[in-house]
Amino acid sequence: MLFGREQMGLLSIIRKIKRKEKEIRILMVGLDNSGKTTIVLRINGEDTSVVSPTLGFNIKTITYQKYTLNIWDVGGQKTIRSYWRNYFEQTDGLVWVVDSSDLRRLDDCKMELDNLLKEERLSGSSLLILANKQDIKGALTPEEIAKVLNLEAMDKTRHWEIVGCSAYTGDGLLEGFDWLVQDIASRIYVLD
Amino acid sequence: MENEEEAALSSSPNPLDVDPALQKKHQSMLDRLTNRHQTRLGSSLTRRSAESDSSSSPSFESTSTFLSRFSNSKSSIESQLAQCRFGLSESTQVKPQLDQISSSISDLEKLVAENSYFLPSYEVRSSLKTISDLRQSLEILSSELLPKKKFAFKNKPTRKDPIFESKEQEEEKKPEKPGFRVPESPGFWNKKGEILVHKFKGSELGEFTIADLDSCEVRLTGSVRALFVHRLRNCKVYTGPVTGSVLIDGVERCVFIMASHQIRIHNAKRSDFYLRVRSRPIIEDSCGVRFAPYCLSYQGIEDELREASLDGETKNWSNVDDFLWLRAVQSPNWSILPEDERVGLVDISNSEES
Repeated sequence: MLFGREQMGLLSIIRKIKRKEKEIRILMVGLDNSGKTTIVLRINGEDTSVVSPTLGFNIKTITYQKYTLNIWDVGGQKTIRSYWRNYFEQTDGLVWVVDSSDLRRLDDCKMELDNLLKEERLSGSSLLILANKQDIKGALTPEEIAKVLNLEAMDKTRHWEIVGCSAYTGDGLLEGFDWLVQDIASRIYVLD
Repeated sequence: MENEEEAALSSSPNPLDVDPALQKKHQSMLDRLTNRHQTRLGSSLTRRSAESDSSSSPSFESTSTFLSRFSNSKSSIESQLAQCRFGLSESTQVKPQLDQISSSISDLEKLVAENSYFLPSYEVRSSLKTISDLRQSLEILSSELLPKKKFAFKNKPTRKDPIFESKEQEEEKKPEKPGFRVPESPGFWNKKGEILVHKFKGSELGEFTIADLDSCEVRLTGSVRALFVHRLRNCKVYTGPVTGSVLIDGVERCVFIMASHQIRIHNAKRSDFYLRVRSRPIIEDSCGVRFAPYCLSYQGIEDELREASLDGETKNWSNVDDFLWLRAVQSPNWSILPEDERVGLVDISNSEES
């Protein structure tokens, strides 16, 4: 299986060279109310004071260092989670956003993440877990979230990182995206 | 979505799912396939020796050549898989045969990789999908035929002493097995027929939960960052400003008067919501819910609302999105509460904290 992954990597390198673009495709998913849209708006420097629950999806193209990030922010309501799969193709980076203050739904959160990681089309993508809402008193720390989600048990071939953040204050977002972009770039644009 | 998937599965030609009645016919087809496979093996060997003197490159820059070669290899692998499955080979032969199939699949993968630079991306994708399907069939077959071997393979250590590592893993997993103990969040839980009052002080910007309440009246004053509402029946819930979001799940015959930046309502039945909200409220799996503007009063509420940027009426209380009704016409699941049925201003000024 490891051999298979390497070959997938090779394919994506070939595809990228062919296009001669330094594009990185990022898929943001997570339960509803986890703060996906607010995070995207915050890192793009936009107003976050009025954000409606996402009915469908938003796409943001952001220039980040020398890369162009195409961020797909897909709504997390239960009824539209089944559509997430429509966005899996050619995903370089996966951002899983967790509402660290929503203690009741941590089981749901773990279940949905486990399902997502079974997806073959996402097997080659780097995984950033954002433990959001760290500014809220009573929120679990990134270490606690990692334990709840049992991240250590993840497939050893997966590149992953968990970072605590607050879309409300902006803390931790750059740290998370820096890791993600570096990890993807070193994988895809290794021939630079 | 699931139906689509099922349809796709059943329509794909899968030699492994065979009606018992067709078994005999299938058997003879397998024999033919095996024969063909033998001749093909021979020809692929000669082809390989031709390749090794580098006169012919493994890539031939023609999609149709690739496709025919790919589908040949694919059906050969499929017939080998079927052969193993129906026990045509001696039991001692199973292991080497499975290994042989596995290396055939790897060869096929290599073929795709070597030719991917000129193939249309659709062909690359569908070829890779085929390969992963073949791998999966092989894995399933291996686990059926060689359960022990598979187990041994999975636990094969990469570097460390096997006994040491497996012990270490067990020790690591043990404390995690019962699951991480999630602390309880502050809130009102499991009450019946009570008036529940809480005042948030300026400093505590945390979350608050109200859950499993029956026939209660909840009065929350002051600002809070996040509010979770879960499983309420016949309750009245009055809140000051929530500066983050409100998440409601599973309420029946309730009345809510709340102000918040975001409100999500799940599994609500026959309930009324008097809202002030900066974004569009949403409902999901709900029916018989009605909406009206915010109408709460207590001492200091105006200042609290202003500080939370919830002082102006946005009219968003009536801009409800129903995630189960994605059409232009009005959702049958919610409506605007007629003015003559609204409660009027609710004053909770003289509430004693419980």
